[in-house]
Amino acid sequence: MADISAQAPFRLTLPRLPWYVWAALIWIVLVLVVAVFAPLLTPHPYTAMKLTNRFVPPFDRWTHPLGTDELGRDVLSRLIISVRISLLIAFGATLISAVLGTTLGFLAAHFRGWVEQLVLTLADFQAAMPFLIMALSVLAFFGNSLPLLIGLMGLYGWERYARVARGLAISANTQGYATAVTQLGAAPQRIYLRHILPNIASTLIVSMTLVFPEVILVESGLSFLGLGVQPPMTSLGNMVGYGRDYITRAPWIMLSPAVVIVLTTLAVSMLGDWLRDKLDPTLG
Amino acid sequence: MLRYFAIRLFRALITIAMVVTFAFVVLRMSGDPAILIMGPEVPPEALEAFRKSWGLDQPIWVQYLNYFGAILRGDLGMSMRDNRPALDMVMDRIPATLALTVPALILKLAIGVPAGVWAALHQGTGFDRAVMVMAVAGFAIPSFILALVLVLVFAVTLGWLPSGGQGGVEHMILPVLTMGIGGAAALARFTRSAMLEVLGRPYIRTASAKGLPWASVVRGHALPNAAIPTVTLIGFLVGSLIAGAVVVESVFSWPGVGRMLVVAVGSRDLAVVQVILLLVAATMVTSNLIVDFLYGVLDPRLRQGARAA
Repeated sequence: MADISAQAPFRLTLPRLPWYVWAALIWIVLVLVVAVFAPLLTPHPYTAMKLTNRFVPPFDRWTHPLGTDELGRDVLSRLIISVRISLLIAFGATLISAVLGTTLGFLAAHFRGWVEQLVLTLADFQAAMPFLIMALSVLAFFGNSLPLLIGLMGLYGWERYARVARGLAISANTQGYATAVTQLGAAPQRIYLRHILPNIASTLIVSMTLVFPEVILVESGLSFLGLGVQPPMTSLGNMVGYGRDYITRAPWIMLSPAVVIVLTTLAVSMLGDWLRDKLDPTLG
Repeated sequence: MLRYFAIRLFRALITIAMVVTFAFVVLRMSGDPAILIMGPEVPPEALEAFRKSWGLDQPIWVQYLNYFGAILRGDLGMSMRDNRPALDMVMDRIPATLALTVPALILKLAIGVPAGVWAALHQGTGFDRAVMVMAVAGFAIPSFILALVLVLVFAVTLGWLPSGGQGGVEHMILPVLTMGIGGAAALARFTRSAMLEVLGRPYIRTASAKGLPWASVVRGHALPNAAIPTVTLIGFLVGSLIAGAVVVESVFSWPGVGRMLVVAVGSRDLAVVQVILLLVAATMVTSNLIVDFLYGVLDPRLRQGARAA
């Protein structure tokens, strides 16, 4: 047995992470801070137009560090608000999808039989159909509002959580701890939520970091096509979509949100890949 | 073997039926199509006539059965905007979409598979790292951004290629590149990991231990086994040929099925959206069936398993 007094005294040290994980973490923290404090950070109101100030290039005037767009709106201010909206949608959607998928996975594992078959068939169906096509059909006929868009994006990737949660819950049910609490008379929801969920949480969190960047990409794609977030509200994809019309005259309108999209998806997916290798290399 | 395919075929039909149901539920429950199409200021008699001519005045389950029956007969409705059969309109656009997506698919396969195999065989080398960096970048850069960057460089700045529209081969280069680069990166990453997993298996060690030259081990043992998961992804790529064209066709104003879908969604043209949804589902299901068939050919274990089951 180890001697307790031999332990090293507590010292605050930075965890040893690869440089790219640090870079990813710093970028994610930066983007999160921007998203949370967005209204305090914008130098101008993001919808304020000034037609005498159209197409100011970046770094030209200190009042508009990233330039202005075709209506003389400040690109930096719009970018900050766009980050907030895009992250709000991505977070909301990822949470909905994780909760929905995990619940369905648990239901499948608990009831087995036809419930399980139904969940698995739905999951196969979701995995087989290109999400963009389904999302487009839904948006076409329900119109689009922010809550609907978040709800729709909340369907993205649910089948992955469902499969993971079902598989892990089935194997957990055969392990001692779940059987023990069942014998003690705990209700199923208590077993699943208090005992099995904490045991499989790390795998689910890894799945979330892998799905999150894809949600950002799909949302920005929809908004780019003009079918996602609607003006006067703005999102990263939306800015790229409207900036496209001025690609010859003012490429900076679309370039800055494009860079933010790429860096954010890159950062989250690198973090996700690293977490997966650390926590659960079996996940695809 | 026969049983294996019968089950697959049955599941494929179920998937199609689910897509039809999905289309029906989404497209019909979303609001009154009569008001959506005709506008709210139209007199009630006109709305009533419209509902009657489209069968919208009947109970929802009758509409559902009618809808299913119509699809089985190949009657997919008229475009509510153009008053032409929606199926014909979509079919007219398919050649344009294939003209982009087939070369893009060939590009993906020609770059992605060899790059992935080579990277796996030379794990840890500069080439392997370059493939991985490209694969991560290919994932993080969405096609619409890649497309716009290519336009910015080759059309706006250099002026070498047109930025959009349909015409000669020069109009196809940028869209094909956009689709090909992203797909090649994903395919390379997937092939690499499939290959690496196979290379770590005991039978590879056995094969080289019994003195087989490395090239024969790779050709005879590693490649056929790594092909199995890779074929799945290729099947998915084939199945999503149309879906993948949506964004790229829109950026390059290419008159294909993908752009048609975006326009139809924007103008709420029910029939056209339905046809495209079914077309995408049918492509997906067919390519999955072909993949399942190829599994049977590629993997003798599966044939045995199916016979024993």
